[in-house]
Amino acid sequence: MPIEITMPKLSDTMEAGTILHWHVNVGDDVVAGDVLADIETDKATMELQSFDDGTVDQIIVGVGDQVRVGTTIALLKEDDDSSVENDVMVLDVNEPKDTQDTQIDLPVPEPTSTPIQSPTTQEEPSIGGLRVSPVARRLAEEHGVDLQAIQGSGPAGRIIKRDILQIVGATIETTAAAQTTVHGSEANVISRTSTVPPMQPLAPVSPWQENRTEPISNMRQIIARRLVESKQTIPHFQVTMSFDLDPLLEMRTTLNEQLESSGVRLSVNDFLVRCCALAMTKHPEFNASFGGDCILYHGPVNIGIAIALPEERGGGLVVGSIRNADQKSLRTISQETAYLSNKARESGLSVEEMADTTFTISNLGMFGVEHFTAIINPPNSAILAVGAAMEKPVVRQGELAVGREMSVTLSLDHRVIDGAMAALYLKTLKELIENPAALLV
Amino acid sequence: MTVATNNRVIEYREALREAMSEEMRQDERVFLLGEEVAQYNGAYKVSKGMLDEFGSRRVIDTPISESGFSGMAVGAAMRGLRPIVEFMSWSFSLVAADPILNNAAKMLYMSGGQFGCPIVFRGNDGAGGQLASTHSWCVESMYANVPGLKMVIPYDAYDAKGLLKEAIRDDNPVFFLESERLLSTTCHVPEEEYTIPFGQALIRRQGTHCTIISFGRPLHFCLEAAEELAKEGIDCEVVDGRTIRPLDIDTMAASVKKTSTCVVVDQSWSFASVGSEIASQLHAICFEDLDNHVHRVHSDDVPPPYAYNLEQAYLPNTRKICEAVRSATYNT
Repeated sequence: MPIEITMPKLSDTMEAGTILHWHVNVGDDVVAGDVLADIETDKATMELQSFDDGTVDQIIVGVGDQVRVGTTIALLKEDDDSSVENDVMVLDVNEPKDTQDTQIDLPVPEPTSTPIQSPTTQEEPSIGGLRVSPVARRLAEEHGVDLQAIQGSGPAGRIIKRDILQIVGATIETTAAAQTTVHGSEANVISRTSTVPPMQPLAPVSPWQENRTEPISNMRQIIARRLVESKQTIPHFQVTMSFDLDPLLEMRTTLNEQLESSGVRLSVNDFLVRCCALAMTKHPEFNASFGGDCILYHGPVNIGIAIALPEERGGGLVVGSIRNADQKSLRTISQETAYLSNKARESGLSVEEMADTTFTISNLGMFGVEHFTAIINPPNSAILAVGAAMEKPVVRQGELAVGREMSVTLSLDHRVIDGAMAALYLKTLKELIENPAALLV
Repeated sequence: MTVATNNRVIEYREALREAMSEEMRQDERVFLLGEEVAQYNGAYKVSKGMLDEFGSRRVIDTPISESGFSGMAVGAAMRGLRPIVEFMSWSFSLVAADPILNNAAKMLYMSGGQFGCPIVFRGNDGAGGQLASTHSWCVESMYANVPGLKMVIPYDAYDAKGLLKEAIRDDNPVFFLESERLLSTTCHVPEEEYTIPFGQALIRRQGTHCTIISFGRPLHFCLEAAEELAKEGIDCEVVDGRTIRPLDIDTMAASVKKTSTCVVVDQSWSFASVGSEIASQLHAICFEDLDNHVHRVHSDDVPPPYAYNLEQAYLPNTRKICEAVRSATYNT
């Protein structure tokens, strides 16, 4: 059987590709990994590598020709093939057999002596056609391992647990703790029983035994699932801006002095919550969610505050919700934030206290972090990563001076918000932060 | 409860005797009957000295008529006594199938709850060693198929005593399967009172690569195989089910979820067996955790041979278990 080399789908949006250059000629021997051609996609020029060993039998699509994804562009003869059957060559170059969802960017397992999969001509590599043990399938799913890319070591190429463990860097061990029924005292009896060999320390038999694993908490599971979903489905991009924080810090000092008697102590974060909320009323697309075929503009402006939980409560983080933050005073925002973070750390937040956020702020400034990027908290369209106020040399009225600056980075859902919109939002935020008196009225 | 104050080691047969004697001292409804249990002190000396202590009213020699004395025990149990019936071999219980399966196991149901049958049927099960086809029965798979009875297979003296005391106290018919090959094995058995609840499997060896599940005598070969396999780097967990009905599938499944592979070793024939039942349940419970289908080791599907070498080859032995574990763990 000849191996068909098809136009690969090299990006999510690629529908067709152009051959810029063939690196091989008919008759050349190639091995898996050899570059066959340069292909221009809608985004970039990329190399097409061979997944198989063989001899180039035919080059079907010439340099400069554009063909749709899935179209056969060359034929590779396996080394033991005597010839390529004629009927295979009767291919309509302009009409790919099936361009729908053709995925060939997956490495295809090499044919083995006991083939377990139809050859590479298969249009849609089907998971169902692979032999995979149930636990291997489950582990692959949990660790995002592409089963198509694995050559199983079990009988007839079955992918088994150790194949996955080898790939995921041996980080998993058996998480299901042994529910042993060696009940305390009875275990003692066993160890003294003459007919039973004593329990022996187990010799290290496999590399993964030596690593430590701990089962993950429910919260960690949720964080893992949600953030993978966010990072994989939301096209993130980031925009950073620095703010002159001196005016805000000065005003904060004044306010805190005057409010000391009433027990109020405003943090920089409280100002940020109010600034972000006010800016959102001006830029409603920041208070929106991507809805598949529509964009949902939320009425209330609910700002989420990322709260890290202490180690003794199992770590992790939750997002507390400051509802209608655009309508709340600094004092109310400060009190609610304090309430939410204390409650989160001590007894945990209720679903109500975490629900319905439309925008999230993650602040690592208190740890001295200068700049970072955050992952969007779905269904939000944006998250603001806030760094510390840093003393920096600044130029003011032509003079070099020491000023305090803070850098913030917005992560955005490009399906909802474009770069220029993000820039405008940050500009509004900058005006609010650098002219903080407006926040009081 | 069993923190020992001494290291007393006794034989399996002595543990059985202690269990019966202690229960007979505490409860005068309990009595022992069977072939040669009294004057001859038991065909395998399990009841040695019991006639002297309890007298011929409570330690009763019967004729060679399993159907008759089993039926008598059913009647006695229905009238409020708690008989212990000793079969010299479970092979001989086949002629008593009607009283033990049709009467004892169903009486509570058929009488609408009026009469239970708190009887312990006990005796040697499995190959005793060159006893040939008709006297080497493993009855567990055949009898475990019947609802209404409990079934126990103790592996060592400690379990034999604790499980037999529990069996005598149980209000249901309990099929208690001993092994002639285990009667002389010894282990620590405390003098203090203890019982072992039914339905609690015991992990006799901990391991991470493969779970070996068995009951009774084959556990010896399982543990031997585990040692053998450890030298090859295959780390086996050996689970002693202890009781077949009730079956502690939870402990077995927890172990399989840890190891992802399993070999069930069952000395009965493979077809419609305890082993096939456990495999089936594990496939259902652990499906997502299995790296291979549950493998099984049984006696070969032929009548037990008489010749020593053939009998050894016929039984689930260390070699067969090792091969099954290697296959289950893809180490062939």
